[in-house]
Amino acid sequence: MATKILVVEDEEILLTALTEELKQSGFEVVGAKDGVEGVEKAASEKPELILLDLVMPRLDGIGALKEIKAKPETKDIPVVILTNLSDYDKISDALSLGAMDYLVKANYRLEDLVNKIKTVIERKQSGSQAPQPPVV
Amino acid sequence: MSLDNPVQIFLPLAIYTMIVFVFIWVENRRIKDRLRVKEGEMTRRMYEVSILKELGERIGYSLNVQKIVDVITGSLRQLISYSTVSYLLLSDEGRVIFHCVMEESVNHRFIEEIKNRLVTALSALINREIKTESVDESISGTITDESNRGRIKSFFNIPIVINNQPVGILNVASTKEGLYKEEEMTILYTIMAQASSAVSKLENILTQEKGKLNSMVASMADGVFMVDTRNRLLVINPAAKDMLGISKPQPSIFDVLDAVASKLDLRTKIEESIKNDRLTVEEQLPMNNLVLRVLISPVKDNENKALGAVVLFHDITKEKAIEKMREDFTSMMVHELRSPLTGIRSIANLLREEKIKNEQAKYQEFVDLIVTNSASMLDLVNDLLDVAKLEAGKFQVMKKSTDLTNVIKLRVTSFQSLAAESNLEIESNIQPDLPVMNLDENKIGQVINNLLSNAIKFTPKGKIVVSGFIAKNGQDLAGKVAEFGLIWPGLKPDVRLDEDAAIVAVTDTGIGIPESQIGKLFNKFTQLEQTAASEKKGTGLGLVISKGIVEAHGGKITVVSEEGKGTTFYFSLPLENPNIEYRNPKQIQKTEIQ
Repeated sequence: MATKILVVEDEEILLTALTEELKQSGFEVVGAKDGVEGVEKAASEKPELILLDLVMPRLDGIGALKEIKAKPETKDIPVVILTNLSDYDKISDALSLGAMDYLVKANYRLEDLVNKIKTVIERKQSGSQAPQPPVV
Repeated sequence: MSLDNPVQIFLPLAIYTMIVFVFIWVENRRIKDRLRVKEGEMTRRMYEVSILKELGERIGYSLNVQKIVDVITGSLRQLISYSTVSYLLLSDEGRVIFHCVMEESVNHRFIEEIKNRLVTALSALINREIKTESVDESISGTITDESNRGRIKSFFNIPIVINNQPVGILNVASTKEGLYKEEEMTILYTIMAQASSAVSKLENILTQEKGKLNSMVASMADGVFMVDTRNRLLVINPAAKDMLGISKPQPSIFDVLDAVASKLDLRTKIEESIKNDRLTVEEQLPMNNLVLRVLISPVKDNENKALGAVVLFHDITKEKAIEKMREDFTSMMVHELRSPLTGIRSIANLLREEKIKNEQAKYQEFVDLIVTNSASMLDLVNDLLDVAKLEAGKFQVMKKSTDLTNVIKLRVTSFQSLAAESNLEIESNIQPDLPVMNLDENKIGQVINNLLSNAIKFTPKGKIVVSGFIAKNGQDLAGKVAEFGLIWPGLKPDVRLDEDAAIVAVTDTGIGIPESQIGKLFNKFTQLEQTAASEKKGTGLGLVISKGIVEAHGGKITVVSEEGKGTTFYFSLPLENPNIEYRNPKQIQKTEIQ
């Protein structure tokens, strides 16, 4: 069975692109277009990994992450933050809230993304810690 | 009676002559006595004057009461004879000073006795007990002579009063009896009174000057305090207390140092500044909700001797906020451009694959995504460019004679279908006297476009009313609005125009805007930030640009709103020459038809 990934991203074109790319790489993909929908789908779809955007309407990435980590049924799902380079403060916040890793959207390459997803899932299974945020 | 007897004639004459002589002699003596008295008085007066002159010269503009009293006691021997002259004085530092000048050697009990009498007298005068042991004592003049058994036989006291406040007592004492009469007392009293009046005047002037300085310091927006070289707080203004969160009315230096202790070792900074005689600047001190810049500057007297330091707190919270807004704006702009661009690149990559070309629906969806996203990016870039032009003052409007009614109607028509999609209705309420005027048709159209698209976005149900009318200089806008049957939620009475203008307004029945947000609407920094976190698409810069366009036409754009009831954006376009009746296109047509 394919690994199920939840992509939470408000930019429609990016959500479509990520969904398609990940599907082609052999993942099963569920999309959510804001934080509220992301939190709901995290619980209902039980994905093995969540790709979470930070700047979103209704409920932003940090808010969504807090809710995901607060619910017993979703708190163990590894979360990878989708972000732009300028969000360093928020990346730090997210990592301290329990996000496993982050991905800079602007120049991601599909192979990197797929590798990252695989690594995070492996790391989660072996139970090691999140990396430190980069030094600005 | 015979007049031949010479004795009879001579005797009365002799008696008369005697009487005259006696009278002249007595009178002469009387005049001489009076002269002597006058002379004595004159000498005293001269003496008083010379002492006062000497006082004036030696005191200069001194405010040091002790110095003045010393001068007086030092010159007194030429005027009055005494064994000792002494004073008891309250000093500025709160000490009590006793000083005795011995003209003749007396024993120490004599001096002790004077001191005790003065302490008792001054205590009574200032209504506060002075303890003998708290008195600083000094003696000058000749040396004490314990063999002299002379006791105080005559003495008198003169109070030393500055600004109606008793500050000390002057005492003249002698071992001789019955020495001092009213005369001596008057002399000393006069001298003392003149000296105190001079000091009082000088002190008043100084207090006034100090008051000016104090009120200047007190009214400063910057926080200021001053310390001396021993780190004692000399003065602190209310702004400094507010900034540091000190509520005590009379704080000490420790209250000040404690307030910043967790962020700044102010004491060391002050000491270093004084030691190195250099202005020290602490660029950022976060304090409660404020960011402060701290400037520590050493203070020196005329002789270049260090007196202490002045510490100034300058509130740079706003500057920092603007700096942060600028940074945020840049990162938001990058975010807004980068996200769709990343998506476009990924989608374009996907389109290159052979497989996708067979999935017609998906292929079409991807192409559409690229089209709409690149279009919205272009909008944003255009808007950013417009804003940049506005800020650089290079935004140009091409005015030409235009029928404002047509401009409005055209915009309303083009938005009808979009409004219908949201189940909204757009009504027009355009008064027939709206003129043909000089304006940039495209740019004013862009403003109306922007107001209409905002109104549609933020109105879940109800309707949108576009109105146009003329308001004259000084007319109450609320009255005009009512006159044309319009309802603008949140419009307060007594909003008056300062010139004749055409008013164009877009009113919705939407969610309304909280008062705290209204100020942010026309600010590019806050707008883009709002947009990114909002599900409503658009650059958010429309209002910023609209404001620029309206202002380029000499008008103003304003918003009135009531939460839950709706919002009205209206802008004014000034009528160039209020004395001219504006050509009304409809009237002209009518005339022509007639």
